[in-house]
Amino acid sequence: MSHPPRLASLFCKRLVSGMGLLLWVIITISPALAGSRLLGTGGVTQIEGAAGGGLSSWGVLAGTASEGEWAVTANRTEARLDDYRLAVSGVAFNWQDRVEVSLARQRLGLDTLGGDLEQDIHGLKLRMVGDVLYHPWGIWSLGVQHKRLDDGSLARAVGADSTQGNDIYLSGSKLLFDAVAGRNLLVNLTLRSTRANQGGLLGFGGDEKESRSLVAEGSVGLFLTPNWVMGMEYRQKPDNLGFAREDDWQDLYSAYFFNKHVSLTGAWLDLGSIAGLDQQRGGYLSLQVAL
Amino acid sequence: MKRVRRLVVLVLLALLLSGCMQRPTSPTPTLYTQLGGEAGVAAIVEDFTYRLADNDEIVVFFANSNIDRFVTSLEEQICSISDGPCVYSGPPMDRAHQHMGITDAHFNALVEHMQQTLIDQDIPPGPRNQLLGRLARLHGEIMSLQ
Repeated sequence: MSHPPRLASLFCKRLVSGMGLLLWVIITISPALAGSRLLGTGGVTQIEGAAGGGLSSWGVLAGTASEGEWAVTANRTEARLDDYRLAVSGVAFNWQDRVEVSLARQRLGLDTLGGDLEQDIHGLKLRMVGDVLYHPWGIWSLGVQHKRLDDGSLARAVGADSTQGNDIYLSGSKLLFDAVAGRNLLVNLTLRSTRANQGGLLGFGGDEKESRSLVAEGSVGLFLTPNWVMGMEYRQKPDNLGFAREDDWQDLYSAYFFNKHVSLTGAWLDLGSIAGLDQQRGGYLSLQVAL
Repeated sequence: MKRVRRLVVLVLLALLLSGCMQRPTSPTPTLYTQLGGEAGVAAIVEDFTYRLADNDEIVVFFANSNIDRFVTSLEEQICSISDGPCVYSGPPMDRAHQHMGITDAHFNALVEHMQQTLIDQDIPPGPRNQLLGRLARLHGEIMSLQ
């Protein structure tokens, strides 16, 4: 049965060539289509599809849309860890820098354990108050991520309580002008209420803790130039399952904004222990295109 | 191991953030001086004004404006906001912009033009970002009577 992998690789090739074409179209069309917000103020796409860094959600909304404008972003993300590989495809829509609707599909390849896990994430983020550049307290947004596992049998087998769940989070972001060596520093803080095990890929709730946990995510990024930001992220996680320990996630990242339409993010991840396999570290690459 | 990693991250965060708290103790030139003084600010305002004139969505706001007066007023304001030897004598920001129908999109466009002006006028990142930060603070006042 070599069909599924062949199909998958064909799909990937098509996706890559499709994105290449999209990229070409986007780079050549008039920049007038871009939103008016400054480069980088929409962040990149985090692994659950919301505007953020790589791992954590930020207070900003996707793209560069502002009052009277809208934006669409699409992204493809790949992460290679010691025993796992994660692929995420997603789209996000931003209406007037007020509402962000996102859709992401995650696929975690269990290279060592065998098989894979897939999950859909529907996200909604509302900007409640502020602006990342102009408001003295920055921008504050409230978000929800509805997560649904395709096949919950593995999650159930390891003790998860359910195969779908909702994360609710509050995110704040603020750019501090001329903060470090004349450069602007972006700081983000997120509080998340979640039952997700390993972001939901191992189900929700568990034999050790069934209820929600309040966890924090923080990140900083220094804009070395208006196009290039480097920083780090830290994301606390619940630890609900008895069969294996779950660690917090962290990364060092670098994101380059070629223009308002294309950004490329690279990161070094340290995701700790995942499903009994310790010290999951590796690389992360994410491409975002935006209208 | 986990604790150690956490500690490393915390220390790095603290190091990165401590940059925000530190201010040089030796007397530093004012932002106005770093922008090139009177000549520098005049060049910035001239360059910026040409960019506004070239932007169809922005230039309409100046249809009934006296451009010379706008230039003088903006020079005076940048001088004053950058700790230069001027006192801004124009109208307050909220009244100067009231009921003009300025949206965040217009404001963003202005900030972008100013950022590119400062880059093209070879203002180093420090003073450039400092001035942008001080101008960004005017957003609340400018948008309050829209």
